[in-house]
Amino acid sequence: MHTYMWLVRREFWENRAIWIVPAVIGAVLTIAALFGRIDLGAAISAEQQRMIAPTVLLAYGFTFFAVMSIYSSWYLLECLYTDRKDRSVLFWKSLPITDAATVLTKLFTGVIAIPLVYFLAADVSTLLMAFIVSMRAHAYFGSVLWQPELWLQLHALWLYVIVTTALWFLPLTGWLLLVSAWAKRAVVLWLVLPPLALYGVEHWFFGTHFVGNQLTERALGYLPRAFYDHSNPAAWSTTVIGTDTITAPSSVWRLLNPIGFVSSPATWVGVLVGAAMIYGAIQLRLRRAET
Amino acid sequence: MPALIEARDLTKNYGSQLALNRVNFTVESGRIVGLIGPNGAGKTSALRAILGLTAYRGHLAVLGREPFANRAALMREASFIADVAVLPSWLKIEQAIDFVAGVHPRFRRDRARALLAKTQITGARRIRELSKGMKTLVHLALTMAIDARLLVLDEPTLGLDILARRSFYDALVNDYMDETRTILITTHQVEEVENLLTDVLFIDEGRIVVDCSIDDIAARYAAVAVADDKLVEARALRPFYERPQLGKTVLYFEQPDFAKLAAFGEVQRPSVSDLFVAKLS
Repeated sequence: MHTYMWLVRREFWENRAIWIVPAVIGAVLTIAALFGRIDLGAAISAEQQRMIAPTVLLAYGFTFFAVMSIYSSWYLLECLYTDRKDRSVLFWKSLPITDAATVLTKLFTGVIAIPLVYFLAADVSTLLMAFIVSMRAHAYFGSVLWQPELWLQLHALWLYVIVTTALWFLPLTGWLLLVSAWAKRAVVLWLVLPPLALYGVEHWFFGTHFVGNQLTERALGYLPRAFYDHSNPAAWSTTVIGTDTITAPSSVWRLLNPIGFVSSPATWVGVLVGAAMIYGAIQLRLRRAET
Repeated sequence: MPALIEARDLTKNYGSQLALNRVNFTVESGRIVGLIGPNGAGKTSALRAILGLTAYRGHLAVLGREPFANRAALMREASFIADVAVLPSWLKIEQAIDFVAGVHPRFRRDRARALLAKTQITGARRIRELSKGMKTLVHLALTMAIDARLLVLDEPTLGLDILARRSFYDALVNDYMDETRTILITTHQVEEVENLLTDVLFIDEGRIVVDCSIDDIAARYAAVAVADDKLVEARALRPFYERPQLGKTVLYFEQPDFAKLAAFGEVQRPSVSDLFVAKLS
């Protein structure tokens, strides 16, 4: 456990972007909250304010989550490649740390530690935003943002998203680690070309689209499994503000579908495939001392 | 006490290219062994196998363990520096000390600090800000602060100037080496390590050519400078190498009859570098 703590610290030393990027996003969003426009261009009722409040609070989180997904993928793709490229892998391998511990630390950093840092940054920024909006437009909007129940929902949603995306996208994570442990150069090409080649070969020789369908399903299948969509009317409410029709989640609790997610076979097939690729990355790490 | 390193039929190939060809050798505890050979001879492959960095065929035991499957456990008692300074550029020196102290049970922080204090390198600096020679010094300090039973150095002084080389080898012999430790060292600069080695392993084209302690060199090898008029007679004793020197020819013999050799001139113990040249030319 002690060793793992040092290994994770090491990742934060090497990849300072892990906390610099969310800090910058937070700063920009806070400036936006300070000087941006906050009225919606139409008068809204107290009921409508309450309805929109969760969406307003979620908006910051989505921004952080979008950036986090890109950064985390990039981190996973590079993490086992850069130290082979600069040959520092020989220094790390001179220490009593197993290759499995190294790879699992990178996995943990990519799918848990980095999302948690962004979660923290999103939380602080959202809090600041709520505070600023309260000061600037208390009568208009601010008061509805301070509902403890709303904040609880917000935190539950973040943690739910971190856990479920970690499981659902484990094949992608595994593939990123595998490429990172394998490539002698051009990691991005190794990332993209093999799936593309598989797709092409299958299409030309068999006329089928199994690979393509699997990839599409993995990319698009997360939301319908982990969340209720509009087919669950209780989860959503609609209102008209000015000329716009706004649909907003009525409550995060009614959106989350953990049972549907956990009972979907595709979730666990993905976990198995991802775990196999992570195992492969560990085996490659054992054997590849250099690029 | 079993040998510290024991290799039997150690073989390593890259595709069809044989880097190590059924190599046999042992390294005993408390020795300073020079693994010496030209580029591409298999030195690095042998070290990589010993350090658990690569899979191989044949039998290999290092500190009683099979190295490839037990690299992490092996590194608790062994340490190494690969051929050039390979510390990551983003690492701060104080981070390096904290990290190694955190993960290595035998790392002695005070020792690392004492070694670094001699170099005027401050802890807040990142590796990328250092010159090549300074990087090597930091790496050496980190490695020598580990209480290892086996220290493997692959071209440790590459990129260091002559003063730094000398002080490194002085520190290695005077401060670091004791009877509990064993050092395996490879270098191109044979002259530089000649005086500190206790054993030599010459490797060429994937095979061990000479495996001998320094003390045994005098018993096993001889060099005699022979005048031209006696050259034919001396060649009859089958030297394995000869080279001209100051109007005479120096002949090199293995397992010679010392009594017969004495008739041709003064019999000398060849230096390690002479023996290296003689054996590998």
